[in-house]
Amino acid sequence: MKQKPLSRRMILKGLGSVAIGLPLLEEMLVPSAFARQQEIPVRAFNVFFGLGIPAPLQTEGFKGVLEPLEPLSRKLLIMRNIDQVRCDEKGINAHFDGASGAFTAEAPNGEARSGGPSIDQVIRRGHYPRGLPPGMVPTLIGGTFFRRSRISRFVHSYNPDGSVAATIQEKPRDLFERVFGTLNAAKGSDARRLHLKRSVLDSVVGQYRYYTGDNSPLGTASKARIADHLDRIREYEQRAYRMKTTDPRAPELPERSKLKHGGEADPGGEGIDITLEELTTEWRLMADLYALAIQCDRTRFGSLTFLAAGERIRLKGDYRYAGRKIYQFDDAAQHNRSGSGGCSHEWWHQFDPKKKNEQLRAHAHMKMREVAYFLQKIDGEDFREANGRTILENSLITISTESGDGRHSNVKRELSGVFHAISSAGGRFKTGEIMDVGAEGIDLYNTLLGGMKVPGRLGPPKREARPVDRIRA
Amino acid sequence: MKPMKFPYRLLLLQLTGALLLLAPLKANPQAEQSVGRTRSGLQVLYDFNLSTGPVVKDRSGAGSSIDLVISGSNSVRRSSGSLEVRGKTRIQSGKEASRLVNSIRSSGAVSIEAWIRPSKTTLDGPARILTLSKDSTNRNFTLGQEKDRYVLRLRTTKTSSNGLPSLDSSNRSLTPSVTHVVYTRARGGLARIYINGKKNVEKNIGGSPSNWNGAYRLALADELSGGRPWLGTYYLVAVYNRDLSPAEVERNFRAGPGAKASPALAARQKLTASERLFDQHIAPLLSRHCLECHDASTKKGKLDLSAKGPAFRGGKNGKVIIPGKALASSLWKLVENDKMPKKRPSLSKEEKKQLRNWIDSGSVWVGEEIDPLAHTRDKRSGGTWLQRLTIDEYIETVRDSLGVDVAEEARKILPGDQRADGFSNTAYNLTVDLKHVESYAKLARIIVEKMDVVKFSTRFAKRQKLIDDDMRDLIAKMGRWLLRGPLQEHEVVSYRGISTTVASAGGDYKECVELIIEAMLQSPRFIYRVENQRGDGQLWPAGEYELASRLSYILWGSSPDQELLKAAGEGKLTDQKFLSAQVRRMLNDPRARKQSSRFIGEWLNLDRLDNMSPSRKLFPGWERELAEDMRRETLAFFDDVVWEQKRPFWDLLNAQVTFATPRLAKHYGIEARGKGLVRYELASVPGRGGLLTQGSLLTIGGDEASMVTRGLFILTELLRSNVKDPPPGTDTTPVPARPGLTKRAISEKRVADASCGGCHSKFEPLAFALEKYDGLGSRHDRDEHGNPLREDGKISLPGSGKAIHYRTTAELMDLLAGNERVRETLAWKLAQFALGRPLLGSDRRILGEIYAAARKNGGSYQDLMTAIVLSDLVTSTRTESE
Repeated sequence: MKQKPLSRRMILKGLGSVAIGLPLLEEMLVPSAFARQQEIPVRAFNVFFGLGIPAPLQTEGFKGVLEPLEPLSRKLLIMRNIDQVRCDEKGINAHFDGASGAFTAEAPNGEARSGGPSIDQVIRRGHYPRGLPPGMVPTLIGGTFFRRSRISRFVHSYNPDGSVAATIQEKPRDLFERVFGTLNAAKGSDARRLHLKRSVLDSVVGQYRYYTGDNSPLGTASKARIADHLDRIREYEQRAYRMKTTDPRAPELPERSKLKHGGEADPGGEGIDITLEELTTEWRLMADLYALAIQCDRTRFGSLTFLAAGERIRLKGDYRYAGRKIYQFDDAAQHNRSGSGGCSHEWWHQFDPKKKNEQLRAHAHMKMREVAYFLQKIDGEDFREANGRTILENSLITISTESGDGRHSNVKRELSGVFHAISSAGGRFKTGEIMDVGAEGIDLYNTLLGGMKVPGRLGPPKREARPVDRIRA
Repeated sequence: MKPMKFPYRLLLLQLTGALLLLAPLKANPQAEQSVGRTRSGLQVLYDFNLSTGPVVKDRSGAGSSIDLVISGSNSVRRSSGSLEVRGKTRIQSGKEASRLVNSIRSSGAVSIEAWIRPSKTTLDGPARILTLSKDSTNRNFTLGQEKDRYVLRLRTTKTSSNGLPSLDSSNRSLTPSVTHVVYTRARGGLARIYINGKKNVEKNIGGSPSNWNGAYRLALADELSGGRPWLGTYYLVAVYNRDLSPAEVERNFRAGPGAKASPALAARQKLTASERLFDQHIAPLLSRHCLECHDASTKKGKLDLSAKGPAFRGGKNGKVIIPGKALASSLWKLVENDKMPKKRPSLSKEEKKQLRNWIDSGSVWVGEEIDPLAHTRDKRSGGTWLQRLTIDEYIETVRDSLGVDVAEEARKILPGDQRADGFSNTAYNLTVDLKHVESYAKLARIIVEKMDVVKFSTRFAKRQKLIDDDMRDLIAKMGRWLLRGPLQEHEVVSYRGISTTVASAGGDYKECVELIIEAMLQSPRFIYRVENQRGDGQLWPAGEYELASRLSYILWGSSPDQELLKAAGEGKLTDQKFLSAQVRRMLNDPRARKQSSRFIGEWLNLDRLDNMSPSRKLFPGWERELAEDMRRETLAFFDDVVWEQKRPFWDLLNAQVTFATPRLAKHYGIEARGKGLVRYELASVPGRGGLLTQGSLLTIGGDEASMVTRGLFILTELLRSNVKDPPPGTDTTPVPARPGLTKRAISEKRVADASCGGCHSKFEPLAFALEKYDGLGSRHDRDEHGNPLREDGKISLPGSGKAIHYRTTAELMDLLAGNERVRETLAWKLAQFALGRPLLGSDRRILGEIYAAARKNGGSYQDLMTAIVLSDLVTSTRTESE
């Protein structure tokens, strides 16, 4: 790995050579940004990885593909036997169903909509009904992924109406700009020009406010969309007119991504060739930036994706973990196929609990290593807060995936036993166990919401709640 | 006064005074063509539909409702659609009508409309029919009765606080019969009273209502302070913040007192309880649980439950549905005992209950065939999202309304619009992030810098002055054009604030106009298509300006032109004949052609071709330019069929013509002619002709030319059907062809397999005719292993009833092009793109009407678009209850 570590301290104090530039934000200069915040904010993030871990492999604990999570075992509750069968939407791709169900427990409601909100968004609205502090990114969605035929494959934060909670940032530089970027609106303007520009913005804000108010002719969903737009305008206002200029000590922006993005990353579902080095370098930069955004208190809610649901890549590379070689990835050669048939995805379709499943194990192990990379990042000493716990411990980090199997064989097999893990959310939930939960995802998520003391619940109002009290601390 | 000539036999007063609404008389042709009451500018609307309780609901949907509360209920008699006042009572708004006051203050114009029956011609005072006032001497307006005349007192800066001088109708114009009375006053002062659709009197009432008091309340049947009681019956009362045109007054008169829409529209909304049960529960239930094995292609046990006829005919064991008798119906018995569905989860208790109720209540079936995709969407269709302009729409709107080309900058700066449910204009997914806000601000600056704003402003203002009257006038006129409809006062004030800031900062007229345009370009009314969505949960006619925007964005992908806005302002767009003429005009505009090419590009996802990266090993001769040739071929072919030849839209599937560059012609094995894109007649070229034989579509199967992918495309995109996940225990890894084993043979094994065949038989045979085309669309008689390839097959299409053999690719294309289901699906695709949302089961009936109307007229793209635009899907809005 050529990646250099990032930290808020390094960037703010201009120490050493780091990979990104950071403008000086007013909120970074207030004491709370430097000193440890006495009051720990409520935070919730969803971490998604594609294709899942077949349920039989989860039973092997840390001796198998979960090994990379072992160093974090005291700080996580790993849950097995969680059922997302209610998310099945007949006639629709199972990867898509499972991905939509992760963190929402609802089937998709359109190619780019979930059937309901994700848990991070319910918690956000429950704890910050009037919005987050000015200038903060209300929901940060990022990820390293390539399969993009349906948005729910890679976006994992949803509004109550099921629409995506924010635009996903798929390049590290985009995520950097979304979180830390200043805008050019005010640059180079004299005071008079600035004054006039503010009058334009005031007028624009007034118009948006009208359409979110009592006299608005709009229906609920449209009003919510306009309200969201108004929030973004206020954020724009904050960035464009209230921030100081870029810190002259700040280093450069991250380099432009060298990986394929956009339509190029998913040529008609046929998959792309990529090396392990390329994949993990970009992902780790993304994970670093995301962690930094949390550390700087620039965001408190959102989701991070490492590879999409039903991801199609043809991976090549020497995979090592803890000083030993785990596997030599070469999907296309091992499948002896080009196009989609040569992708790692196929190992999941070929999963057979009676066989070794060597390739699938290696891929799943690698994914756990990369998920653990992010978790360890927010568990570092730099992330320790006033109560002595790290951000990992103080936040609700929910980790999940799309499938309990991957074979598309039947709904039970596909959507039962879906891997889940959570952090303690400031001591609200148990950690340090691998628990056979034996519950539906919706009950697990609603128990999490109850534990986070928010009024909202997922699923139909009339549904009988079956709380999973075993996970409560 | 002459006897009234009602368009409908609306009212029959019984001896008791009760009101009955009867069916329309031999409908006046004009009435039939009407799409209902005008709604534009509607601020309050009382339809008196509640038959009990003390509240009269404001159904206008215009912001916070101004409900009225009845005290002294002994003096009134309520029934659905009327309120009879028999004695002294108080019927007043519970709060100040400030919203109404503000809206009329800002517009400067007003219309007051009432359907009433005065009890006698001796009432005076004037007796208050409708009043917005404080007491007997302070008012904003009052509509009253002075014996046999209607009296309208309106406060303006030129009349008294009592609204004097008033405008009175002619003597004996008021009779104790059901009457439609309308008062209109234009911003310029011209005031009129209309009785039963005809102008009775007019005069100029000078001044403006800017001095209206926002603290006054609205009341019926008496003054707020009492002492001026009116007796009679109310059927409808409405107030608008604009002056209705004579044509609109006449149309509202012809529509009768029904507050919503035309009778035809109202009737179309009504489903019986049984129809609702089928539409909302049974069709989705059959789609989810039964059609996997019992649709037209699978028909296990010879039972097809996907369409009305075959479903009631039954299967090899006879009828399975006995209407009215669930216990005698084998469908119910098998489901009740969980014997069906086989090897799949049983129906839930609730689903079983619904199924039994449906059979027992007579098994009402709506429409003919079930649409699995649409019905499953209906279950959780969610809300209605307003539409943000897509990048293309933004570019075209700026071009058409400001004369500026920002295509390059907008495509570079704005975040891309993501595809959802097959199109990138799907409203629910047109979200906004910080990047959008920043981009809109940047683009606004770029646009004004490219403009001669002073010259532009002369279109709207004669004088280039910063003084209040001139600026307000400029803002109102320029805003109407840029924001696609008249501005409200709060908007004028907001933009005026910019100009005063500029003036106070020593700025000039140019700077002022620049900044106002910048603000308008960032306003929600520019970036979104803002429409009224609030009401009573029913279909309401779209407002005139809403309709103008719908037309222009659907047909052109851009903003309405002057002619459309003018027509909207005159209330003409709700007239079906006029609307049809506008659609014809718009379809003859080059913008319609451009918009249609966006449709085909979106539907077939032609942008996918930019990212193709086929295996070099399998396709060593691949050139990136070939993908661009394929895109150009499809676009040119579409243009030729749709615009040059104006052929039926479904001819896209079998038209014997194409367009190819020499490179693409060679790729297809056609002798190349000329340079660039050349038109080829294909009658003598085997295996080419129609979209499915073009490289742009054949490449969807990937390197392996997947029959699964190609077949699924035909199944979902042309037959609007779907399939479930693969059955239990299946290894879904594609099996490669080898010597002696073709892809077709592999596919046939899957189709014949007990586990796979249930679903694969529905779609893989659809792709058999395409076996000869490799992953890049070249046609071969043998595969890379030397195996001979075939193009014949047998398919079962919905509605066809039996399997049909075809011998060649061309024959399959003819079968598809001739199939009603396929043709109708093409209409659905156009409708989805036009509406910017996935279609639902509840749209099915109207979609059927659209297809039938278009087919009757020839079935061209133009016919389909005309039928779509004239349909309720476009001319009305599904409102949301407050």
